[in-house]
Amino acid sequence: MTKNTPRELFEKGFIREDQFSKIDVITSGKVVSVFYELQTLLYLGVLLFTTGVGILIYMNIGSLGHLISIFALILLSIGCFYYAFKKGVPYSNDSVKPVTPYFDYVVLLGALVFVSVAGYLQFQFGILNENLELVTLITSVFFFYIAYRFDHLGVLSLAITALASFWSVSISPQKWYSGTFFETANLHQVAIIFGLSVAAIALVLEMKRIKMHFTFTYLNFCSLLFFAGAITGLFIGAWWFVYLLLIYGGCVFAYLMAMKRKSFLFLLYAFICAYIGTTYLLEKTILRDAIEIWFLYSIFSCGGFIYFIIKFKNYFKQK
Amino acid sequence: MKHAYNEVNLHNLAVIKESKRWCSQGLIEDTQLKNIEQEYRCEFYHPNIIIRILLFVATLFALSGVTGFFALLFGNGGEKVLPLACLIYGVVSFAILDRILISRHRHYKSGVAEALLYHACAFSIIGLSWMADFNTYVVLTSCLIVFAYTAFRYLDLLTTIAAIGSFAGLLFYTCYEAGSIFQQVIPFVFIFCFGAVYVITRKLKAQTNLQVWFLNMMIVEVTSLLLVYAAGNYLVVRELSINLMNLQLEDGQDIPFAFLFYSLTIIIPVACLYIGIKRKDILALRVSLVAIAFSVFTFKYYYGFGHPEITLTVAGALLFGIALLLFNYLKTMRGGFTRENHLAEKWANLNLQAFVISQTLGGNQPGAGSQIETGGGGKFGGGGSTDSF
Repeated sequence: MTKNTPRELFEKGFIREDQFSKIDVITSGKVVSVFYELQTLLYLGVLLFTTGVGILIYMNIGSLGHLISIFALILLSIGCFYYAFKKGVPYSNDSVKPVTPYFDYVVLLGALVFVSVAGYLQFQFGILNENLELVTLITSVFFFYIAYRFDHLGVLSLAITALASFWSVSISPQKWYSGTFFETANLHQVAIIFGLSVAAIALVLEMKRIKMHFTFTYLNFCSLLFFAGAITGLFIGAWWFVYLLLIYGGCVFAYLMAMKRKSFLFLLYAFICAYIGTTYLLEKTILRDAIEIWFLYSIFSCGGFIYFIIKFKNYFKQK
Repeated sequence: MKHAYNEVNLHNLAVIKESKRWCSQGLIEDTQLKNIEQEYRCEFYHPNIIIRILLFVATLFALSGVTGFFALLFGNGGEKVLPLACLIYGVVSFAILDRILISRHRHYKSGVAEALLYHACAFSIIGLSWMADFNTYVVLTSCLIVFAYTAFRYLDLLTTIAAIGSFAGLLFYTCYEAGSIFQQVIPFVFIFCFGAVYVITRKLKAQTNLQVWFLNMMIVEVTSLLLVYAAGNYLVVRELSINLMNLQLEDGQDIPFAFLFYSLTIIIPVACLYIGIKRKDILALRVSLVAIAFSVFTFKYYYGFGHPEITLTVAGALLFGIALLLFNYLKTMRGGFTRENHLAEKWANLNLQAFVISQTLGGNQPGAGSQIETGGGGKFGGGGSTDSF
């Protein structure tokens, strides 16, 4: 189907000849792009290398080879940033197109190696021995700088995670199911406050038109944290009603964001969290025990929801 | 028998989707896209991926409620009634999907349709298998029939993989039960059968009247290639022989035809790579990359020299270096290959990439527990990479 589409559209006069000749070489497979394959290789390269290095620098401490390798890593990091500053375009408030397809990964590698080495040096010389959390904060600030300077979404999300872990909150779905999402009590409150404040900052930055394409990443992390915190609070405490109100508030906010940005991910969050909250409320108040009622509930609530989405399908259409 | 959808709508949807990709890449203009959308009207209900997920989950919940009710009604039916009830429930679900959802309401992969489809598959298979007291042959055969049917009729991709998987299972089980010599030749049977599947699928893919199933055939192609590779891989053969066929290996002993499997472990990925480059076949190329990685792992597994951290570092540096060199090499187009990104893949969303990076690369921050996190990150990274292949 795909192969003949360009010709069909060309013959019907929907695309011009120059466009047709450009598109046809791609869809017919005469020209093959290996962009994503090479990007994946770069990503895996960075992943394996930094993981290996992360372990390596804490082994054989003190030996000569060890010192040489630390030195090599410092050089590597400097090399990456030299390249980035030399080739990269100056800072801009808008989104910046990378100069080469591998530019982003060179920056990423440089940043990660730099942080590993810096962490090691502080470990070795005990500069900040008193408060280790400060290291995370500095890491986060460094990542934020790199993210804004080189317009790097990946490093930005690393910065947000580091900042969250400074407040001992971990943003990681992997920890969801192992049940250690919030390792200590009351951390869910921290998560909620963190989510709210960072979201507020992100929105202010957006209003000032600074890196507006970063807002999605901020809001995504914030809503994950906020909802995770609020739902945890809902399930554990006597204050569940307060958390329920928080969840509803968050859902309204996420819904507005979804509509404003035409981003359906927030809609997904809003619906799922509202559903969890409402179900919990019903369970606490009117629905008890009888299993038949729960079957009815799942049929009618979900059925009604499906009907609603399909009925208003034009409303939920992507632009 | 043919697929369940309206041919014209299917064609129009494909044209619109394709044009949207060109438009997002700047190959055509917005006004042109608008005109195309005007001309190629599509009546399908086919929402975007997030709404699909949402509808899928909601439908599963609702269906579980329905199933619960039926379970309450027929729960005491006993061994005689229940299998039949399951089968009927499954078939009725298929009928509702086909006649009401798809024919009347024009759902096309809408989330609701998929949920009902898998639901129908599951109950049909359970019903059929239960009638035969879960005899392995019957289970595998009914899986194969039901999955192949749904893959064919509803163009579903997940059941396509499931169908291939049940075919492989059936093949394996038949040879395994036949005993002695047949057990020995399982790898060769697999290589032969799935090699044939691969060649036939490639032929079929070129035919214009089968283009509706293009994605399904693509999946069959990739899975059969991977299965051919797995059947020849030394690690897979050795571990399966030891675990399933009770092969006892003393020190210094090796599996039968060990040398052959060692060579296949090397030859198949290289052959794939060669085919991929020669024919400009991106699928074979991607499979070969996965296969090469697994071959390296195979040799490392039996001839490891310890020091996983050095292996990781060196492998990472090599990968990064090779990718950089290739990027520079393909600055100008060579042999039809280019480094430029022509058409954005659906999954290649920058925000998604950022999320994967934050989940996998964050482990190197100094502080407590960084090593443990790194391990977890590695696993997740594997998942991230398979996404892209």
